[in-house]
Amino acid sequence: MQRPSDEILIAYLDGELDKHETLEIIKELAHDDRLQAHAERLNASARLIRAAYDEVLRESVPERLIAAARGERGLNAVQRALAWLARSRMVLGERPWWIGVPVAAALAGLMLGGGLGYVAGTEQSASLTAQQDLVTAGAGANWLDSIAGYHKLFVKAGTNDRALMDVPADASGDAARKVGQLPPDFRLPNLKPWSLEFQGARLLMIDGQPATQLFYTTDNKSLGALTFVEAESSKADLAPTFDRREDLNILYWRHHGHAYALVGAADIGYLWNIYNDIAWQLDAI
Amino acid sequence: MSASFNDQLVAVLPRLRRFARGLTGSAVEADDLVQAACERALARTHQFQPGTRFDSWMFRIVQTVWIDQLRARETRRTESEDEALGAGTDEPSRRVEARMALKEVQAAIAVLPAEQRVALLLVTVEGLSYREAAEVAAVPVGTIMSRLARARMALLAKLGGDALRGSTEDAKAE
Repeated sequence: MQRPSDEILIAYLDGELDKHETLEIIKELAHDDRLQAHAERLNASARLIRAAYDEVLRESVPERLIAAARGERGLNAVQRALAWLARSRMVLGERPWWIGVPVAAALAGLMLGGGLGYVAGTEQSASLTAQQDLVTAGAGANWLDSIAGYHKLFVKAGTNDRALMDVPADASGDAARKVGQLPPDFRLPNLKPWSLEFQGARLLMIDGQPATQLFYTTDNKSLGALTFVEAESSKADLAPTFDRREDLNILYWRHHGHAYALVGAADIGYLWNIYNDIAWQLDAI
Repeated sequence: MSASFNDQLVAVLPRLRRFARGLTGSAVEADDLVQAACERALARTHQFQPGTRFDSWMFRIVQTVWIDQLRARETRRTESEDEALGAGTDEPSRRVEARMALKEVQAAIAVLPAEQRVALLLVTVEGLSYREAAEVAAVPVGTIMSRLARARMALLAKLGGDALRGSTEDAKAE
């Protein structure tokens, strides 16, 4: 037999040859030291290749991926949230609990229902006790990693990919209200003065916490796409703080039981100005 | 959509992340890719044929989404992961060296042509047979065989030296 080609030798090492071909290679290896050494090096390189990615299997899988795999977003999450709200009204009285509180609180409350549904996997777990037990969102590294990841996902998908949007792009919220996805007093931060158009919202689980990510785009290339994240938090208020994830700037803060973040490739100066606008709007709502 | 479908998807996530990490060369991009693949899979559950391999079906979706993304934009590989190694770590030096060697392997794989990388990751890392890998990549078995051989030989040439010697000695010690 002629010295086998690399293709055949590798197929032999991968166990892909039939019995006859395998025996031929074994015979060849038995009396060809150089071929044997070559096969050993190929085997060694295969072990290295496998080892290079073994660590990934030992990493914990990010919660956002588990949520995505479970289909825990979109209408299902909203439906669970509404079911939870209905039960909460029974506990707290007939008056819808979000009336009279800021929009961020109302929205975060809606998300909380969806989140509980996910965390426990059953609607029974969506109780007020569970609500108190939740570890609330802050601005840890994972939280910032996740919101930066979601921002990139929006940007990659582009505005034509409506599959990512749980709440349709309707600046007044009327469409969303009509289909019962949002509380009646829901209002969006209006960022039109910054030439930012609201494209839609997504209901997320970040670090085990429900959150809402609002996605805006603009023709202004120096500003670029922007996402604004709202989540519940029991941590103390925090002044706006700057951070970065790769090419993204993040400005995050906590205020009156809520964690917020602005994410985008825009210059930090833009983010500061938009933060001032949003903070004013949320306080004014 | 059945709960078992979601369960299968959750169970295969670690391997999808590993496959995606090999394709993209970036942890963040890999997770974005897996998330997009999960969403596409859930939207197309009716296309999965019971009795066929679920992991192969998901690998095919990950690969398709990745190709779509490659076409839509130029990939920007982050260097942050490499920078994270080295300074400031309190790992024993031998372990750091080993991790550096594995990073070298990842870097060598990252510069392989995309189709060779897919063949290598599916067969050598994920353990698919040539036939299964050919189905995922939608090419003939012979094409997988030649792409794989080119990838393996390119890596052998690049890694050569110390890394392989060390690996061979480890194997003999076992």
